[in-house]
Amino acid sequence: MLSENEIKIIEYLKTKPDRTASAEEISKALSIPISSIYSLVQLLKEKGYVRTEEKKVTKYELTEEGKLRLQNGMPEEKLIKILNGQSKKISELREVLGEELEIALGWARRKNLIKIDKDTVIPLVNDYHSPELDLLRDPSKIDNENSKQLISRKLITAKQETFLLLTLVQDIAEPTKTITYITPEILRSGEWKKIPIKEYNVEAEPPFYPLAKKHFFKEFLERLRDVMIELGFTEVNGNYVELEFYNFDLLFQAQDHPAREIHDSFMIEGKGEVKDEKLIERVKEMHKKGWKYEWDESVALRLVLRSQTTSVTSRVLSSNPKPPIRTFTIGKVFRPDSIDATHLIEFHQLDGLIIENGFTFRDLLGVLKEIFYQIGIKEIKFKPAYFPFTEPSVEVYGRIEGLGWIEMSGAGLLRPEILQAVGINSDAGAWGIGIDRLAMLLFGLKDIRLLYANSIEFLRTFTG
Amino acid sequence: MVTIVVYKWDIINQLKIKENELEELLFNLKSEVKPVDQDHVEIEINNDRPDLLSSSGIIRAIKGLKKLELGEAKYEVKKSEYTLSVENVDTRPYAIAGIIRGIKFDEDSLKELIQFQEKLHITIGRKRKKVAIGIHDLDKITSKNIVYKEIPLNYKFIPLNGNKEITVKEVLESTEQGKQYGNISVKNGKTPAIMEDNGSVLSIPPVINSEKTRIELTTKNLFIDVTGTSLDAVISTLDLLTTNLAEIGGKIEQVKVLSAQQDFWSPLLKHTTLRIYSDYVNKKLGINLSTDQVVEYLRMARFDANVMGYNEIEVAIPPYRVDIISQIDLVEDIAMMIGYQNLEPSTYKLSKIGNASEKTLISRKLRDLSIGAGFTEIFTFVLTNDREIQGDYVKILNPVTVDYTVIRNSLIPTTLYFLKQNQHSRMPILVFEIGDVVIRGNTDTGYKNSTRAVYAIMDSKVSFEELQARIHQILYNLKINFSYRKSEHHLLIKGRTAEIIRDNSEVIGIIGEVHPEVLEKLGIEYPIVISEIYVDKLSGDNE
Repeated sequence: MLSENEIKIIEYLKTKPDRTASAEEISKALSIPISSIYSLVQLLKEKGYVRTEEKKVTKYELTEEGKLRLQNGMPEEKLIKILNGQSKKISELREVLGEELEIALGWARRKNLIKIDKDTVIPLVNDYHSPELDLLRDPSKIDNENSKQLISRKLITAKQETFLLLTLVQDIAEPTKTITYITPEILRSGEWKKIPIKEYNVEAEPPFYPLAKKHFFKEFLERLRDVMIELGFTEVNGNYVELEFYNFDLLFQAQDHPAREIHDSFMIEGKGEVKDEKLIERVKEMHKKGWKYEWDESVALRLVLRSQTTSVTSRVLSSNPKPPIRTFTIGKVFRPDSIDATHLIEFHQLDGLIIENGFTFRDLLGVLKEIFYQIGIKEIKFKPAYFPFTEPSVEVYGRIEGLGWIEMSGAGLLRPEILQAVGINSDAGAWGIGIDRLAMLLFGLKDIRLLYANSIEFLRTFTG
Repeated sequence: MVTIVVYKWDIINQLKIKENELEELLFNLKSEVKPVDQDHVEIEINNDRPDLLSSSGIIRAIKGLKKLELGEAKYEVKKSEYTLSVENVDTRPYAIAGIIRGIKFDEDSLKELIQFQEKLHITIGRKRKKVAIGIHDLDKITSKNIVYKEIPLNYKFIPLNGNKEITVKEVLESTEQGKQYGNISVKNGKTPAIMEDNGSVLSIPPVINSEKTRIELTTKNLFIDVTGTSLDAVISTLDLLTTNLAEIGGKIEQVKVLSAQQDFWSPLLKHTTLRIYSDYVNKKLGINLSTDQVVEYLRMARFDANVMGYNEIEVAIPPYRVDIISQIDLVEDIAMMIGYQNLEPSTYKLSKIGNASEKTLISRKLRDLSIGAGFTEIFTFVLTNDREIQGDYVKILNPVTVDYTVIRNSLIPTTLYFLKQNQHSRMPILVFEIGDVVIRGNTDTGYKNSTRAVYAIMDSKVSFEELQARIHQILYNLKINFSYRKSEHHLLIKGRTAEIIRDNSEVIGIIGEVHPEVLEKLGIEYPIVISEIYVDKLSGDNE
């Protein structure tokens, strides 16, 4: 059984005197995309209709210099023309030829067209036509032999191109005496007992098969989710568009803090609302007492794209929760930055929260150690740090084989001021883990943008 | 975070430590060190510790950590004959001043003082909006009575680095600082000024000092003015400056501040006291220290601390420790003195079983079915540009590039863009993505996330049915009762588009072939059939 396109290709090859054509030629002649041709060729080969051969052809292209020479002529040819059979002084020639003079003299001498006697150029021929110009005019005449000089004169470049050549080896018109496909009819009639089953080329590479695959980075996020769930945390989600109140204010981040200025978060038009009047009052009080400035409610009601998933933690805190509580969230956050191999403007964070009576700083360190252990980072160390909403605060560094100590997380006990503002009487710890850079390092990627690569071939070939 | 560059030998020699020890000591003080050259290092300082923004402050802190000196560093303070009269200045009402005598500068220490001033401007000063500092050579000031008041913009003086008298207006227009900070405090044709009572200008806060009182290597005595919009911040800033200068041998002298409200002496070198309880410390950290041990660690952290009774300790907070708000801040200092590496992490205790969110559960099910249906998963950005998006969507007011100006409200445009990028790859291309978009919603922000799934096939030949057959099986396996209804969509071909309806009532998705007009506009040369499913509506959670 041959498909319509397979038959077309065979018919086309039959029109060729040597029954041979390149894949590109067939693609053009039959208007079939080259990618499809490749898979059709594979099928035809398996069925024994065509033989293929890869042929390397060198293609020559004019350089800018080559194009210029084609237009203006070769310097040595110009020189002979100017001399017009008469000897001339070099200085005289320089006036006409300028910078080209040295090249013209060099090549004219090498080609035995002139003789130089002190400062006089004596022509040995009256007329000269450069064979190079003919080659530049028609690059198809360039062969291995004459290309060398043109390349050394930087007039052309050579490029190797590979062609797939197809040769028809078996015509469809020929009656087949073999069984290609075993069909119900063949089985029923017992025909297979009389006719041999055609052999395949079982050593050939198979055609491309688009395997469905899960995305490696999504799988990494799922693994983190499983780690948190196994550690007894409940997953919560939040929205990308957030009130500054939850992204900053509730987290004890002063309104005149430089990090809140417009360039550190993406701003959205409009205002939100906080229905809990008491909560607003207490947050206002917390800022006044802690930072000693006039807290402005209208600033807190502005909208931003959340710059940290701690805004989700913030929402949990403000929801009047009943301890003991262990929650986590994994999601995208947004921060203005210039995008490059290590920076993105949207990336993921994992935020966790524990509210329990008697939860201590050492307990927090134990939680962090366990999370990283489960992710596969067995060696970690803790560094004192500063975050507005936690005290004591800690940064977690993890050791990654071949890369050394990498900062992975910020954490701490939630400030009593915040717990008081949301009316929680227990102890609480929280942390945030930046995920994308960690994933990039663990996957051995050199560019963080590859986590969101928009090349299907990268996704097909990347095996994690 | 802020970084400072300091001359490292000064620190190393004063602390009598080995070169490689500095990094570890600073790590324990929240800071990281990077070498700059043979003699200098760059140190990262956290926003809460402006007292560490000069090497003298760092040395003071490490002396405690190394137990070379314990308790608060005390500085001798004298009253000077200088006064600062503060008049009514609307835009930045607060001004105080202080004097430091007997400093010996070299190139590194002078550079560091300027750096300290600059970093305070950025941090506490909030880029000079909240606080601005002027440091002057005291011996170049001719009068003992300094005045803080408003002057008109045609007032003349020689600005720092200038060579002739120009008006304040010209200073604002022609100097770098003028352009950068000129708009902060100028109002109604007037600017705040620190000047001698004879009318000679010392500085135009928060913009620039005068050339007259420039500090140089030969300068021994300093006059420092601090102005701003918050009295607390102004006081802290002068306390930070004068105490850190006292650490390198300067003698502090106070200036009498005369104002309409009351007269007082500055720097105030204000102390506060806090009560801390050792069982609070133990409870927070999960350790077991005696009250005496708590006192010892507090003294290492350079606090004076006295036991007041069982469990109770009174702690004096030095003027330069502006980060200490309540006793929890002292707990952190104690933890730092113990060393985080000495606090053994507790063994993890499982309290109860965890749960994935509804969204994760449905997404996981859907991903498995999608892979089974032959689609490869893709992962694209949420941010995109408004060229491809229609309807109601969230615009960013301050985008950083034209490529990312809005949040997508559908996965179809970003998927088409993905396919465009891949039209020269091996066909067929079957892709899916489960991700969030942002739409209008009845929430406190007016917007909400909506989880969607998108499926697309691109090949030399595609058909509606080819995609529909796969989607059909996916939805069937989710145990959903659904049907198809003829529909229209601005990106899809009319007559080849259907809505997917759940229980004969609710639209849970759309499927159709992309219109050739759309393909042409996007520069896509292959046909595409695409479907978007509203995941939120699959789980029964139909808010």
